[in-house]
Amino acid sequence: MPAVKPKRNYPMMDMTAMCDVAFLLLTFFILTAQFKAQDAATIETPSSISAIKVPDKDIMIISIGKDGKVYFGVDNQVTRLGMLENISQTEGIQFTDKQKKVFSLQANFGVPIRSLPQWLNVGVTNPDKMKEVPQPGIPTDSTAQNELAKWIYQARRANKDLRIAIKGDNVAKFPVFKDVMASLQAQNINKFNLITGTEAPPAGWKAD
Amino acid sequence: MAEIAQGGGGGHGDKKVRSKKASTRVDMTPMVDLGFLLITFFILATTLSKPSSMSLAVPDKQNKDQPQDTEPLKASKVLTLFLGKDNTVWALDRIAADDDKAKTDLKKISYGPDLRTLIFQAQAQVDREHGKDEKGISQFVVVIKPLKSSTYKNMVDALDEMAVTKSKRYALVDALTTSEKELLGDKAD
Repeated sequence: MPAVKPKRNYPMMDMTAMCDVAFLLLTFFILTAQFKAQDAATIETPSSISAIKVPDKDIMIISIGKDGKVYFGVDNQVTRLGMLENISQTEGIQFTDKQKKVFSLQANFGVPIRSLPQWLNVGVTNPDKMKEVPQPGIPTDSTAQNELAKWIYQARRANKDLRIAIKGDNVAKFPVFKDVMASLQAQNINKFNLITGTEAPPAGWKAD
Repeated sequence: MAEIAQGGGGGHGDKKVRSKKASTRVDMTPMVDLGFLLITFFILATTLSKPSSMSLAVPDKQNKDQPQDTEPLKASKVLTLFLGKDNTVWALDRIAADDDKAKTDLKKISYGPDLRTLIFQAQAQVDREHGKDEKGISQFVVVIKPLKSSTYKNMVDALDEMAVTKSKRYALVDALTTSEKELLGDKAD
């Protein structure tokens, strides 16, 4: 009599269905993905009950950091290049093609116009080092040196459909915001959006 | 694991040489692993909640050469909120800053429920006294004056409160009048 051989039966599982699900979800996430932009500074926005969404394209974002530094950014690479071109003409600063390329990849920046070429050179030679360069913020204070107003003007020249959004940090002081608002109002821009987080409205509240 | 089932037959006294059937089943486990890994990456790399935005409209800048005639607001319709430091609000409820009673009436409140209750109270009071205007809008006006020490969050909170209380008429003013400066004293810094 032969010894009873235990039947070696590996538990088997059909992975095909699971694989299908995984790839279906993957496709969904790839198609809906909108990557987080590398921002010059992390900004924690206050929240509001407003339900209006920030537009996806044709938008200019003026960010106010927690230390009161002002950063500027537009969403489209073509607009960024056009804007840089305009600034280079009015300010008389020449940029090389490589510098322009680096500039068009920046989601936002907080560097005065004079030190822009130097900052972009870091990006040309070593793109990873760019984050480590301290950014002093765009000057907004005095009227003659109000570079923010120049950027806003040139960006709007490059893309006339640009909408304007201000993204301020919780702890940023009001006078900085006032300066930003003054730069906008000086150009007759009287309507803009404030980017906020979303919070639930109080119970029983209804929008009209 | 998802092993491939093989063999079986043979050894039953069956002398016929059978060609071994190659299984066509493929082990899907690594592929599932890869799929979920990529999903994880895409979930983490995308922005989950899209931020919302509140729109703010400010009046046109005035031409200095041709100042426009505007009717002064009646103090009895106005709630003035001074946004101060450390998340405090100084409220002046339906009293002008140069009034004698202003000093004693200046209330210190905090954001959130306190501020909301105050706005609702003032709103109801004004509606009772003055009624609606010809367009059917409440005549209640809120003047928000952020002081130098207030933060951006304070301002957004105050503006949000306008949306919550449905106060249609509000103004964001940054300049203080002389009497207001006197009234607030060192709180204005």
